[in-house]
Amino acid sequence: MDIGSFLSRTCGGASRRSFLRAGMSLPFVPLALGAAGMGGGGIPGSYAVAADARRNSIRAKSVIFIWLWGAPSHLDTFDPKPDAPADVRGPFAPISTRTPGLQLSELLPRLASRSHLFNVVRSNVTFAPGHPDAGTFGLTGFPEKPLPVKPNFGSIIAKYRGEKGSLPAFAMLGRGIPKDVVRIVDGYGAGSLGKAFEPFLISCSEFGEAEIPSLKLLDGLSPHRIHDRRTLLGTLDAVRRQTEEDRLHDWSRLHQRAFELLSGPSGRKALDLTQESTETRDAYGQTSFGQSCLMARRMVEAGVSYIQVNWSEYVEAMTPNTDFGWDTHIYNFELLPDRHCPILDRALSALLDDLSQRGLLESTLVVAMGEFGRTPKITNRAARDHWPRCYSSLWAGAGMRPGQVIGASDRLGGDPVSTPISPLMVGTTIAEFAGLDTQARAELKVLEGGTSVHELLS
Amino acid sequence: MNCSRSAIRGVILVVGVSAVLADCPAEEKRLTSDGQFKSCPVFVDHTGAEIVYVVQESAVQLRLMKLKLADGSTTPVHPTQTKNEFEPAFSRDGKWLAFIQSRGNLSLAVVMKNLSNGTETEIPPGGGFSGARSPAIAPDGSMMLYCYAETDTQSILMMPLPQGKPHVIISGAGVNNWPDFAPDGQRFVFGSSRDGNFEIYTARPDGSDLHRLTTQPLQDLRPRFAPDGQRIVFTSGRDGNYEIYLMRPDGTEQTRLTANPERDDYPIWHPDGNRIVYVAERNGKHDLFLADLP
Repeated sequence: MDIGSFLSRTCGGASRRSFLRAGMSLPFVPLALGAAGMGGGGIPGSYAVAADARRNSIRAKSVIFIWLWGAPSHLDTFDPKPDAPADVRGPFAPISTRTPGLQLSELLPRLASRSHLFNVVRSNVTFAPGHPDAGTFGLTGFPEKPLPVKPNFGSIIAKYRGEKGSLPAFAMLGRGIPKDVVRIVDGYGAGSLGKAFEPFLISCSEFGEAEIPSLKLLDGLSPHRIHDRRTLLGTLDAVRRQTEEDRLHDWSRLHQRAFELLSGPSGRKALDLTQESTETRDAYGQTSFGQSCLMARRMVEAGVSYIQVNWSEYVEAMTPNTDFGWDTHIYNFELLPDRHCPILDRALSALLDDLSQRGLLESTLVVAMGEFGRTPKITNRAARDHWPRCYSSLWAGAGMRPGQVIGASDRLGGDPVSTPISPLMVGTTIAEFAGLDTQARAELKVLEGGTSVHELLS
Repeated sequence: MNCSRSAIRGVILVVGVSAVLADCPAEEKRLTSDGQFKSCPVFVDHTGAEIVYVVQESAVQLRLMKLKLADGSTTPVHPTQTKNEFEPAFSRDGKWLAFIQSRGNLSLAVVMKNLSNGTETEIPPGGGFSGARSPAIAPDGSMMLYCYAETDTQSILMMPLPQGKPHVIISGAGVNNWPDFAPDGQRFVFGSSRDGNFEIYTARPDGSDLHRLTTQPLQDLRPRFAPDGQRIVFTSGRDGNYEIYLMRPDGTEQTRLTANPERDDYPIWHPDGNRIVYVAERNGKHDLFLADLP
């Protein structure tokens, strides 16, 4: 029986079943079988107890990791090069920000006016030129091989923190796992940490309607349509009766997680965007990406430790039959101003405003980045291709001193001229903000060899 | 009437010289209300009764929709289509509808639909990641312009209709896009980054007699000739976000029409020449609006 399984296309056309089937495996459905049963509980093997001793070192109670899958052009967003030759500079002008000396692309006017809320890193590097392998680096800090795949940063934090109430410690917002035409992308899950620390996948439509892809089998099951526990239990039990006996154990876990999330007050509250004012919902924009960012903020309020918001094929796309996201090999100079940047500029600005106004930004780390940058020299298709040697990221909150530009690229945006910041350094820095110091990481055997970006943490 | 917002302005700014706001701007009329992401409106014919536009029906479906202005009803142009379709263009005689159709992996075709018999011809995508965009059909139906990127530039090509051999008419440096014919077909306007950033240019249909019309540090794009050929409406980011502007075909009398904190974009002329339709973002939602010109 499929429970929200789907065929995952990857950059060359191959497909494979990449998601979950009830009773066979349950990746992306963290287990929550504590002694309290339906009442929720800790994850077996979690590090939560030990983590309690280190609470004082936690600067980020929650992390929102905005994954700009497909790889935005750094030159056309956070690292404009107005003095470069025309075939590098591109058609977009730089604009001033609230931060003296910091310029962003004219495509990000809202973020430019909020530069006092964030930092820009301009010396990110990665070590693979293709989406799947760079994606794995970007999400785990490590290459795909040797197996097993290393855990997503969020899974590490989920293991360290444990769950709080009925909500998962690691939630992923998007209608599916971003993928590439060539093949499946590893790194979205818990990898070597085990399935207990997989993210719980929730999608959010442009109207703010939440869906749980892992329960697509249950037609109409959504927080908006489940009015009472009896309805939910009846629906889930009907599926359970159809499930083969040897799959019941796993199905029970899914059942329980779904029940807890959809029927529990904290879960439903986190997913129910109708509780937001019209003004707040409008501020994020009527796009699935915008409303996903709003849902992420609600999850922060609910105490979810790590929320990854995916910009994927399921975010407003021109050619959505495959998952290109920010992968603008053609029409880069039309897609960015017409669609991608206005959507990002609005949603991310609203998120920063919202967190700041609610007093949450101080205890929430927000990171926005893709898996690499794009070619400084404009291609023969009048666009930009992949560029792993240099790209940018945005960091906000968690007590950071904002308004900084950290690192720098050369005059063409081709390479860093300061210390390169690798994906492993990104993950290690996120972990440090979340309270995983060197000792904790060593004990968990994660992010081995990683060093943090001191300018962000200082 | 609330003069302070969500309205099309009277003369606000003449290039280089600050001017005074008109006493009170004309009210804009909302034509759609679903708030979904929209783009590329175009009037079906000279009657002004119907508009075809593009809606992001879902996160994975761009669809051509037809709007009847009389009653506000909307219907899909191709109800069963699962491929993404966008950038519609009609010929003045109502014979042709051209549009872009996504064929998958960043692969775009121009489809030309004969509206009298429903048959379709196409300009197929090239190899790899490629495809044409922004079709524009000449007033007499003799040719179609579109843009296509290869060999270090994004050119504008001309294809004799119904199915002649396309050839480049605007090339050189930069990204060239958004062609639109003057009503007499003797010239066309387009956007180009040939001189650095996106500015608006005009040329003859063979690409000769090129003239630059705008000179701004921020973007000017999506120009459209008025039905009488005496003005051009276009989008510009020169004042901080996308607003709609007017100018004469020689680039003079550049005038700002909209003044909103959110995006105003994709302007087109009503066939009567006295009004414009555009896509506006209001409170994070995108809808079509109709407004009188001052």
